[in-house]
Amino acid sequence: MSDQSYSAAAPRTSKRLRNTAWTRYLFVLPVILFLLVFIIFPIVYNLILSFQNVTVYNFKGHHAFAGLASYVKTFKDPVFYTALGNSVLFTVLSLVFQFSIGFALALFFNRSFPGRGLMRSLMLLAWMLPVVITASVFQWMLNGDYGVVNYILQSLGIIHEPHSWLSENGTALLSTIVANIWVGIPFNMIILLSGLQGLPEQLYEAAKLDGAGKMLQFRHITLPLMRPTILILLMLGIINTFKVFDMIFIMTAGGPVNSSNVLPIYAYQLSFTKFQFSQGASVSMIMFAILTVLAVIYLRMSSKEEAA
Amino acid sequence: MRGKMKALFLTLSLFALALTACSAGSGTDSGKVTLTWWDTMTTDGSVTAINNIISEYEKAHPNVKIKRTYVSSSDIKNKLLLGSIGNQGPDIVWIDSADHQTFAAAGILADISSEVKAWGQGDLYYDGPWSSTVYDGKNYGVPVGSNNLALFYNKDMFDQAGIKPPANWNELKEDAKLLTQKNVYGFAVSAVKTEEGTFQFLPFLLQAGSDIPDFDSQGTLDAVNLYDYMAKNNYMSREVITQKQSDTATQFAAGKVAMMVNGTWQIPFLQKEGKVNWGVVPLPEGKTGATVLGGENWAISAASKHKEAAFDVIRFANEPDRLKKLLQTNGRLPSRKDLLRDAFWQKDPQMKVFADAMEVAKARAYGPDYAGISEAIQTMLQQVLTGQTSPEQAVQTAADKIKPLAPNN
Repeated sequence: MSDQSYSAAAPRTSKRLRNTAWTRYLFVLPVILFLLVFIIFPIVYNLILSFQNVTVYNFKGHHAFAGLASYVKTFKDPVFYTALGNSVLFTVLSLVFQFSIGFALALFFNRSFPGRGLMRSLMLLAWMLPVVITASVFQWMLNGDYGVVNYILQSLGIIHEPHSWLSENGTALLSTIVANIWVGIPFNMIILLSGLQGLPEQLYEAAKLDGAGKMLQFRHITLPLMRPTILILLMLGIINTFKVFDMIFIMTAGGPVNSSNVLPIYAYQLSFTKFQFSQGASVSMIMFAILTVLAVIYLRMSSKEEAA
Repeated sequence: MRGKMKALFLTLSLFALALTACSAGSGTDSGKVTLTWWDTMTTDGSVTAINNIISEYEKAHPNVKIKRTYVSSSDIKNKLLLGSIGNQGPDIVWIDSADHQTFAAAGILADISSEVKAWGQGDLYYDGPWSSTVYDGKNYGVPVGSNNLALFYNKDMFDQAGIKPPANWNELKEDAKLLTQKNVYGFAVSAVKTEEGTFQFLPFLLQAGSDIPDFDSQGTLDAVNLYDYMAKNNYMSREVITQKQSDTATQFAAGKVAMMVNGTWQIPFLQKEGKVNWGVVPLPEGKTGATVLGGENWAISAASKHKEAAFDVIRFANEPDRLKKLLQTNGRLPSRKDLLRDAFWQKDPQMKVFADAMEVAKARAYGPDYAGISEAIQTMLQQVLTGQTSPEQAVQTAADKIKPLAPNN
C-alpha cells in the first residue's frame, strides 16, 4: 500500500494528513534507532576513544582527553607502515587476480554447455566454506615439513629444497594472498555472471551482423554495459579485502615477525593483546578514513554513471 | 488508518521487546542469591566435575543458585574488560594465571585479602602459583590448579641411538644432533607468535640465569643462541614459529620429533593418541634447572554484589576431595602442597616429573604489562628463527622494549 493510494482514498481532513506525516516518521524510527545504537554509537565511541589515552590501567576509570597522542604514537611505529603496506599489497593483488580469473570464468559459464549448473554450484563451494576451514587447510598444505605443496613442487622439479611458505618472511604474505584469491574467485564469478546474463542479446546479434568479432564485442558491448556491476564489485571487494582478519590471523597471525601483518590484525593486537585501547582505536579510525575516501570516490563515480 | 496504526504499534513493541530482551537476566529473586560463574573448560570430564561441585553447593545452600557459563579462552579477557565498563562481571571467574595481575591492576578483580586471611590456607600453596594471584601486596584470587613444562622424549629413538635423555644443555644439543634424521627432527618447541611461544621460551631464559627484570644480559643471549643453534643446524624445524603447543604434540605423537618441550595437559592426549613409546624428564639444566607454570586461578569480579557468597563457593570447591576430582579430570597439578602428595600425582612416573617440578616452577607474575613483554619476546624469537636478525641484535631490540614494561625488582 503506497502513501499516494492511501491519501487518495481518504483525503478528508488536514488533521489526518498531519497524522500521516507523523506516522511516516514513526515507521522509520526503528531503523534510525537501530543505526544510532549499533552503527553510529560504536563509531563515535571509537573516535572518542582514539583521542584519549586508555590502557588496561585506566580502562574502568576516568578517560582523560589526550589529543592526538595515540595517532602520533601510531604514526611513529614502524609496524604501522609495514601493516599499511601489506594491507595495500594484499588488497590490490587479491582483487586483481580474483577479478580477472572470476571474469574469465564468468564468461566461460555464460555459455551453455552440459553440466554447467552443477559446475557453477561446485565453484561456489569454495566461497561457502567457513574461512576457518579454508585457512587451516591452506596452512596445512603450505607447511614446510609435511605440506602437499612442497611435495608437488619437488616432484615436478620446480624446487629442490622444501620451503617453509608460512614461516619465511618472503612468502608468508604471498601465501595468504593466494589463499584469499582462491576464496574470492567464486564470488566475483557469480556477481559478474549475473551481470552478464542481464545483457540484452540483441546488441550482440546486431554487432555480429555488423561484422564485429568476439574481442570487439567484449570491448564495446560487454565492458561498457558491465561497468556498473564491475564498479560495485570492485568497491565491495576493496572494502571486504582491506578488512580481512580471520584468513591471515589463522594462517600466520601476522608473522613471522610482522611480515604478514595487516592493519586489522595490528589494531586487534594493540587493543586486545597489548590492551592499548586508544592506539588500537586510532588504527581503526585510520582504516575507517581510508575506506570512507574510497566509498566517496565510488559514490561520485556511480552518480556520474546514473546522470550519463 | 486502523490497520496502519496497528502495524506501527506492532513494529515498535517488537523493537522495544528486542531492546529489553538484551538487558533481561540480571537481578536477584526474593531472598535467593544467584551467582554467576565463568570458566573456559571444554572437556567432558572438567565440565562434569565443575557441574558436580555446583550442584553439591546448591544442595548444601538452598538459598544460593549458581549459573555457570562457558566462555572461550580467547574471549574471556575481552568479555571481562568490556563488562567492567558497565560495572558488570561474573561473581566467580577462572582466569589464566599469566593474565591475573593485569586484571587485578585494571580494577576488574575484587581485593579478597581479608577473606583469604580468614580462610587461612594460603600457606598450603606453592609460591609459584600463589604469586600469580597477588598484586601490589593484595590477594586477588586463589589458584585452581597448575601445569608446567618438561621434556617429552621418544624412548625408541633414544634406545636406537643408544643414548639417555639429556640432563643439561650440552647433552640436549648433542642428543638433538644424534636424533635428527630424514623426516625426524631431534628437538621441538613452540615459538608461535602468541603467549604460547613466550611460555615455552621462559624456562630456557631462567635456566640461563636470566629473567625478565634483567633481560638485557648474557643469559638471555645464551637462551636465544640455543634456539638459533637448533634451527640453524636443522635439528629443529623452522616451522616451530607457526606451531602451537598442540601442533608440536601432534608431531611428536606421529614420531616426527624425538624430543619436545610440552606441558602436563598433553599426557592424556599422548596416552590416547600417541603411536610412540614416550617418557618425560625434567627440562635439561643450563646454569640452573627451571621451568614455568601455567594454570588457572579463581577470582571474584570487583563488580560482584555477592563477594561473601562467591568466596564461600571458592572455599567449598577448594576442599581437598572436591578439588582433587576436578584437577584429575582436568589434567592439572594441584597448586597446594597437601594435595600434591596424593598418590595420584606421585605414583605415575610421568606425572611425578611434573609434580616434582612444582617446587621450583616459576609463575609468569611479571606485573600488569606482561602482554607487552610477551609480545617483545615473541617477536625476538621469530626474528632469530627466520634468520632475519642476529641473536645479539634481536635481544637488544627486545630488551629495549621490555625495559619500561618490566617490574623493577
